[in-house]
Amino acid sequence: MDRRNFLKGSLIAGPGVALLGTAEAGAQSSNEFGSDVDILNFALIAEYFLSQFYREGGPQMSGKESRYIESIGADEDGHIAAITGTIQNLGGTPAQAPAIDFGKALASRKSFLEFAFKFENLFAGAYLNAAGSIKSKEILQAAAGIFGVEERHAAIVGRLLGRSPTGGVYVGAFSKPVTKAATLKALKPYLKGAKAAAGGAAVTT
Amino acid sequence: MNEARVFGGEPVIEFAVERDRRTFLRWAGIIGVGATFAAATAGRFASAQSDQGDIDILNYALTLEYLEADFYNRGIDAGVLSGEELTLVRPIRDHEEAHVSTISSTLEDLGATPVEKPKFKYPSGTFGDNKAFLDTAYTFETLGVKAYQGQVVNFKDAALLAAAASIAGTESRHTAVLADLTRRDPFPAPLEARLSMSKVLEAAKSFIQS
Repeated sequence: MDRRNFLKGSLIAGPGVALLGTAEAGAQSSNEFGSDVDILNFALIAEYFLSQFYREGGPQMSGKESRYIESIGADEDGHIAAITGTIQNLGGTPAQAPAIDFGKALASRKSFLEFAFKFENLFAGAYLNAAGSIKSKEILQAAAGIFGVEERHAAIVGRLLGRSPTGGVYVGAFSKPVTKAATLKALKPYLKGAKAAAGGAAVTT
Repeated sequence: MNEARVFGGEPVIEFAVERDRRTFLRWAGIIGVGATFAAATAGRFASAQSDQGDIDILNYALTLEYLEADFYNRGIDAGVLSGEELTLVRPIRDHEEAHVSTISSTLEDLGATPVEKPKFKYPSGTFGDNKAFLDTAYTFETLGVKAYQGQVVNFKDAALLAAAASIAGTESRHTAVLADLTRRDPFPAPLEARLSMSKVLEAAKSFIQS
C-alpha cells in the first residue's frame, strides 16, 4: 500500500464496512479491553506517542539513521490517520494527542535510539496482546498489519543500536505479547494531562 | 515482486508423499475437489479443538516454514554467509526450525497429521552466491509475511490466531533485517501487505514437480 494513499484512508475499505465486523475472528473475553473503539484509542495514544518522539528527536540523526527514523515516523503518522479515520467510521471519538515530555530521552543519539527501541518493542507486544480481543475481522486484519510494521521498526532500531541478534534485533521465534497494564505503566511517566483528553480512559486505567 | 522469478521457474518443491502433494495442490486450487478454501471448509462444524480450516492453514504454514528452514540450512552449510550476515541469518534459521517443530506438534495436539517435509530443489548457484542467496531469502521472508498476514484473521481458534500472529511478527523482523542487508527499504509501507492462500500458492505452483 502506498504511504500517501494510506494517510488519507482508514483501516477498513470504505464507509460502513466497519459495521461488517460481526465475524468475531478470534474474539475472546478479556478484562483488559472493552470495545474495538477502546482498543483503537489505546493504539492511537501509542502512535501519537511515537510520532511525536520521532518528530522531536529525529532531526538530531544523520545519514542512513536519519532516513530510517524519518520513514519510521511517517509510518506512525500513517497509523494515526488510519486509526483516527476508523474510529470515526465506527461512530467513536478519537483520543486527542496527549501532551508528552520525553525528558532526557532526547539528549543524545544513543538515548534517542534506546528509547525508540524500548517503545517499538513494547507497542509491538501491545498490538499482539490486543489481537485476541478485537471483534471486527477488518480491524484485526489492519491491526496485524500495523503490528508487523512495528516489529520491523523494533528490529531495525535494535540493529542501529548494535544489539545482539538474539534477544535484541530479534526476540526469539515467537513475538511476545505485552499486557495493557505494562504498556500503560511504561507510558505514564511521560504523559502530561492525559486525563483531559477525550481518550483519557484509555490511558488512566 | 514476482516470487516465481527467483528460481527462474525451475521446480523447487518435490513432495515426499503423494498425499501431501495432493493436499498442497488442493490448496492451490489445481484439482477440482474442494478447489477453494471456502468450499473446503463450508458447512463444517467449527470446533476449537479440530477445526478443519485451522488445520489446513497450519499445514499450509508448515509447508512454507519447511521451505524456509531448508533454504537457510543449505545456505549456512554451504558457507555462503560469513561475519555479520551469518550472525544475523543464523537466528532466522533457528526461528524457522522452531516454527516447523511448534506447528507440527500443534497439529498433532489437534489430532491432525502434519504434512511431511517436502523435497526442495533449487537451481544450481543458489547457494554459491552471497547476493543471490540473500535476495532469495528476502523474497521468501516477504512471501512468508504476506502469507501469515493473509491467514491470521481466518483462524477460528483464538490461541492459534495469537500464535500465528506472533510468528508473523517474527517474519516481519526477518524481512526488515534482510531488506537492510540487501539495501532495500525495510519500511515499504505503514501496514504489512497480505496475500491469500491461493495467491501464495500460485507463486509456489510453478515450482511443484508434476
